[in-house]
Amino acid sequence: MDTRSRFSRRQFLKTVAATGAVSAAQLGWGEAPLLSPRKAHAASTVRFQFSVPEPLRISLVESLVDRFHKSQSDVEVKVEFVPQAQARQKLITAVSAGNPPDCCMMWDNWLGEFDGMGALEDLTGQIKSWKHYAGTTPTAWQTVTVKGKIVSFPWAITNDAIFVRTDRVKEYGLKMPYFDWTWDDFLTLAKGFTKPEKNQYGFGMRGGGTWAVLYATEFMYGNGVQVLKDDKVAINSPEAVEAFGWYVDLLRKHKVTPPSAPTDAYRQIVEGFGRGVTSMYLHNSGSIEEQKKFVGEPNFITLPIPVGPAKKRASFFFSETLTMFKAAKNKEGAWKFMTFLMDDEPHFDYCRTLGLLPTREALTKRPPYTTGVYGGFVGSFPFSIVSPYLAYAGWGGMLDSQGVPLFQQAFVGQLTPKQCLDKFAEMLTKNMA
Amino acid sequence: MNREASVTVPAPRMLLSRGTRETLSNYTYLLPAAICLGGTVLFPIFKAIHMSLYQNVLSRPQDYRFIGLGNYLRLLHDPTFWLTLKNSLVWVVFSVGFQFVLGFGVALLLNAEFKGRTFYRTLNLLPWIIPGVVVGLVWEYLYQPNYGPINDILRRVGLLRVPIAWLSEPVYAMAGVIFANIWRGIPFFSIMILAGLQAIPDEVYEAATVDGASITQRFWHVTLPMLRPIIVVATATRIIWTFNYADLIFVMTNGGPANATQITSSYTLLSAYTDLDFGYAATLSVVLLVIMLVFTACYLKFTKGVESVSG
Repeated sequence: MDTRSRFSRRQFLKTVAATGAVSAAQLGWGEAPLLSPRKAHAASTVRFQFSVPEPLRISLVESLVDRFHKSQSDVEVKVEFVPQAQARQKLITAVSAGNPPDCCMMWDNWLGEFDGMGALEDLTGQIKSWKHYAGTTPTAWQTVTVKGKIVSFPWAITNDAIFVRTDRVKEYGLKMPYFDWTWDDFLTLAKGFTKPEKNQYGFGMRGGGTWAVLYATEFMYGNGVQVLKDDKVAINSPEAVEAFGWYVDLLRKHKVTPPSAPTDAYRQIVEGFGRGVTSMYLHNSGSIEEQKKFVGEPNFITLPIPVGPAKKRASFFFSETLTMFKAAKNKEGAWKFMTFLMDDEPHFDYCRTLGLLPTREALTKRPPYTTGVYGGFVGSFPFSIVSPYLAYAGWGGMLDSQGVPLFQQAFVGQLTPKQCLDKFAEMLTKNMA
Repeated sequence: MNREASVTVPAPRMLLSRGTRETLSNYTYLLPAAICLGGTVLFPIFKAIHMSLYQNVLSRPQDYRFIGLGNYLRLLHDPTFWLTLKNSLVWVVFSVGFQFVLGFGVALLLNAEFKGRTFYRTLNLLPWIIPGVVVGLVWEYLYQPNYGPINDILRRVGLLRVPIAWLSEPVYAMAGVIFANIWRGIPFFSIMILAGLQAIPDEVYEAATVDGASITQRFWHVTLPMLRPIIVVATATRIIWTFNYADLIFVMTNGGPANATQITSSYTLLSAYTDLDFGYAATLSVVLLVIMLVFTACYLKFTKGVESVSG
């Protein structure tokens, strides 16, 4: 019997043992599996958490990471995509467990909270010697400065402006709004747009999510209001009550907002305008690209928030940041990746694709930022300020869990504007930490 | 011939009696199950009680400390907690009440002989099969004031001139989510009660008919008593589920507007995952547990539990 091709018992056992050893090595007990794709030399890995509010961002970030990998071979980036709703909680639990990603994208209003946990790497020294430091707008640095420390790169910034349907202005024979329009102009226009029998309303007011509080506050600033005055909460001042009363009346008295306004959040206000239910809404530049598809570029413009009775107005800056953690395992790699993303072309491509504003003035001189639909945002720069709600880390989650229900109570008439702001001020004062 | 005397040596006395050994060995068999239950049920409960005694805000690790009953005192003075408790009561009573009544009706219909009965029995299960989150999204769309079908139909038939924002008005919002929950929960009762109806022997009805009982009398004196164990178990289970069921509310209203639909279980989630206040969230969970334990004990006592109808 020919036994040359037969598998002996000894050979079988050897093969099983070898397979077992390789499989065990593959389980990732070490830093990298034994049989990983061959590289010219060992690349260090960077864990990057990216919060995803919309699917478009996934392909955008994947393409940027791909470009980064092609530009060098020392650092390999592993992106962890996390839905926006879970991002903050996931980061906090990761920090508590001592295993945060090396770097992440986070919104500037989370920075105070994470800094309070002692989780953020102080990048002040490195950033001040970074090549684009001087070219970056100072306000952008303000959004990422906590207690005098620069803790992040401002990846993209934006402020708020009002989207207006110009085709409807013409259709209904209304007066075209202008750059320095007032609250009265705004209300007149909103009334002109409102045709309940056609399911059309003047203003897509936001009542859901943290920005329900921020947008109302932006309007209040037009009446000379400040959230903090001499380090004391002043959001319930008589001017604030008067201004908030005017804002609430848009819904309750003038009925120029959809009836669903008390709970309408980001998706509802953007879609409401896109579907033609509303003809104005307040938002950041992030929804411009969407409205170009929904409404068409010639049919809408953006304008700054109208001037209030105190001849003032304000728009709040916010930024999407690139932030490194103190417990990062690969700080060098994370820095390399973050500075790549902040280079002219990747930075510009990120902002342009999402409709956000680049943080370097030189980049805002390129199209599309020179076109009309960005006019309201670029034109608001002179009176844009960093959100006053960034002042205290303790205000972060509270705006959402306690502030929003209070504002909703005012919107539905359960609280008067004064009662609402008094309770809101009390909540803010209690959490000034 | 030498004959050896044989002496019977008594067997050494065992340390434990036979009965004790048997008891111990029986308990040893139960040990794996006890460990599993302890690890998955008792440990989380004790951990929650332990957490509730601490100030534990995840984003403020430096403030972590033992505060005894501090969280419980805070809860007593928290108006939102009392509001959510009231909302929970409304949510449970109306949801389970209507689910039971309508589910009973559907079960009686499906118990009757008619063509296509199997098809309708399967169709009846659909709302129960669909995941809660999907149910929430579907109903949110139906209620949508601007492009939702409910408003559209009402406007077309002339019952409405201006759309109603069902989920944005506190008056309608709770009714809106309860209605969606009723729709989802009817199949649970109908299928449970249908199983009970099929288990009632025909002879009992025949005997009642021979004795001259009318259809109503047969229902009250035969059907209902025979179904009592199933009704008790089904309603108790459903009440506990509904009390703890936050998915639908989370998706449809997120507790709004102005906490009008915030129930205690969704408030617990909010405290844990928005405020990251795990100490307070654990306190809310412990209170929920106590409420449910007391309720279940009273309910079973009041309804005489699941003891047999002849007992």
